[in-house]
Amino acid sequence: MNISQNYVSQIIEKVSTWARVNSPWAIHFNSGSCNGCDIEILATLTPRYDVERFGIKLQGSPRHADVLICTGPVTRQARERLLRTYEQMPEPKFVVAVGSCGISGGVFQGCYNVVGHIDEVLPVDAFIPGCPPRPEAIIDGIVKLLGYIQNGTRPDMVLMPGVQETA
Amino acid sequence: MTTETYLQRAGEILAPFAKATNNPETNRLDVQIAVGDLPTAASALTDASWGYLAAITGMDLGVETNELEALYQFCEGAAVTTLRVHIPREDCPEIPSVSDKIPVASFFERELSEMLGVTVVNTPDPSHLFLPDDWPANVYPLREGFTPEQAASVEPAKTLEPGKVGNKFIVPIGPQHPALKEPGHFEFTIDGEIITGARMRLGYVHRGIEKATEQRNWIQNLYLLERICGICSHTHTSAYSQGVEKLAQVEVPQRALAIRELVAGLERIHSHLLWLGVVAHEAGFDTLFMYSWRDRETVMNLLEELTGNRVNYSICSLGGVKHDIGAEHSASIHKALDYLEERIRYYLDVVTTDTTFLQRTRGVGTMTLDEAKRFGTLGPTARASGVTRDVRLDAPYGAYKRFPVSIITDDRGDLEARFVVRMKELLVTCFTIRTIVDNMPSGEIATKFPRKIPAGETVSRVEAPRGEAFYYIKSAGGESPVRLHIRTPSLCNWTSVINKAVGHQLADAPMLIAGMDPCFSCNDRMVTVRRKDGSNTLTWSELREYGIKKYGQRK
Repeated sequence: MNISQNYVSQIIEKVSTWARVNSPWAIHFNSGSCNGCDIEILATLTPRYDVERFGIKLQGSPRHADVLICTGPVTRQARERLLRTYEQMPEPKFVVAVGSCGISGGVFQGCYNVVGHIDEVLPVDAFIPGCPPRPEAIIDGIVKLLGYIQNGTRPDMVLMPGVQETA
Repeated sequence: MTTETYLQRAGEILAPFAKATNNPETNRLDVQIAVGDLPTAASALTDASWGYLAAITGMDLGVETNELEALYQFCEGAAVTTLRVHIPREDCPEIPSVSDKIPVASFFERELSEMLGVTVVNTPDPSHLFLPDDWPANVYPLREGFTPEQAASVEPAKTLEPGKVGNKFIVPIGPQHPALKEPGHFEFTIDGEIITGARMRLGYVHRGIEKATEQRNWIQNLYLLERICGICSHTHTSAYSQGVEKLAQVEVPQRALAIRELVAGLERIHSHLLWLGVVAHEAGFDTLFMYSWRDRETVMNLLEELTGNRVNYSICSLGGVKHDIGAEHSASIHKALDYLEERIRYYLDVVTTDTTFLQRTRGVGTMTLDEAKRFGTLGPTARASGVTRDVRLDAPYGAYKRFPVSIITDDRGDLEARFVVRMKELLVTCFTIRTIVDNMPSGEIATKFPRKIPAGETVSRVEAPRGEAFYYIKSAGGESPVRLHIRTPSLCNWTSVINKAVGHQLADAPMLIAGMDPCFSCNDRMVTVRRKDGSNTLTWSELREYGIKKYGQRK
């Protein structure tokens, strides 16, 4: 009896992973970005890049989202909102930081109203560098994240081409 | 009227209040007045229809002089009249409000009071505009000697809970909002379906760039200011370089100026197409969104070919530009423009003939000429109400004397007119770009630029896709500015949205906000609607759906 229950839960797990990988829904949060990354994220939805062919959909509520795409450094006023949005997402949830500011604070390092980069506020699964990253890079980053979701391991970091892992 | 006669007239109007006057530059008039005279002097200018209030720049003159200074900058054509007011630094400095005559001043006054600690007497809303809620009292970031350590987080003061006020309800929208580069927070007071009041709160992406410029050198600032906005990045770099070049008295080569104007034109095309798509999306017309963004990729390709980057092109450098645009690019520019012109004509046709779309735009948010002037509206939003205000024509900078643009206005003032004005503006821009490419001046693209900038102050104005961007730059002769004040066009246009939303249905709110093109970032956003039967939470998408459905039923 136990074995069959285990078997059923394994099947359910497999099906849900299959569904998650084939249609990850994303929510986008701008916590202090200059808008450069945001327009490139939006451009990935449009016919030239058409991210929906991977089943990726940018949509409204955090309660429906699997992936949180963050842009910009985190400002003091936006910090609490970012955390609230993250908390509202159902498990398992993944965070992608897009752009230089999200990775390190970028040009806004040391500004009085900037708390820091995204990694200081949320656990980030993938970083996509660039100021702003090209839509191709954003798609590449998210597709790599999907690969990790499929393998069942939660990635510490998705390495982008040219980024060396430090020991 | 010429700039001289404008300035002369301003001098005459302000003569009764003036303690001292001088002309720091040929197009500027500085008038020193007493603090008490400020409202009378400001209303004397507005009553005489002399220009509009472009910005209020606050400055800390330092511990030695123990004074703060506020500059009320009025613009008319190329002329800039500055009312200079000195206030003591200590003992609760006070300044009277001018916002009853000039509604847009309320935003500037909120900024002035939170950044420098000036109490603005009788201002309609003294709460924080940019700084976070947990900001400590009596700490002002633009005061001399400010350090981030002073601004440790404190327990935020209790803000008004959204909910019932008498028989009315407050609907908070945001801070995650589609139509803003900065996620803003709005509170609409509604009576049934009708909006009876609106209030806004910015500051979710306030990073403190003005303060940061004082800690970076002139060259570094170029890259910092470019990242004020990823959509109109070239506007900011060109306004900044233009101002700094004026201070340094460096003559920029004609070819460099022409290249700047060309890139500004391409930026305008990408920005307006982006806007068209996002507003169409808000109206539930996703096909138009996809179409316009597909065509926008043509401009993005062109920008990448010419500058090496799709966004943040970084083509301006102090004293010129970084990349040459020559005959070898001419063919691809013309080819791209051929395609774009055809598409823009098609969009112009769509936005003026599609019945469903017209239901959402025709007669919605109508702003008369008088209102547009009184609210201090700028850019295409103002021109759609018939205000002939465009820095490229009023005060031709850079290469705009050599390659002028023609102004597009419309007198209807509703959302439809704003679509028409923007689309026609694109056709004009395409024509200008072609003229520049075919008649590119020869010569160098950059000159040598000094590391230190001579002491002085200047005003630099540039027409961004959304309206006039206003820069005030002050140098003390060092390697970095002592004060840099930026007023972006969206801030001025907010007054009109806040005022025009009243009387409209809640379902119109997304279109009204999007219609003024407040630097989009298509985020997700939360809307909480509290009703008598408890509260329910809506996402912005649901509000959008609600708007679309409501209009669907009316058909």
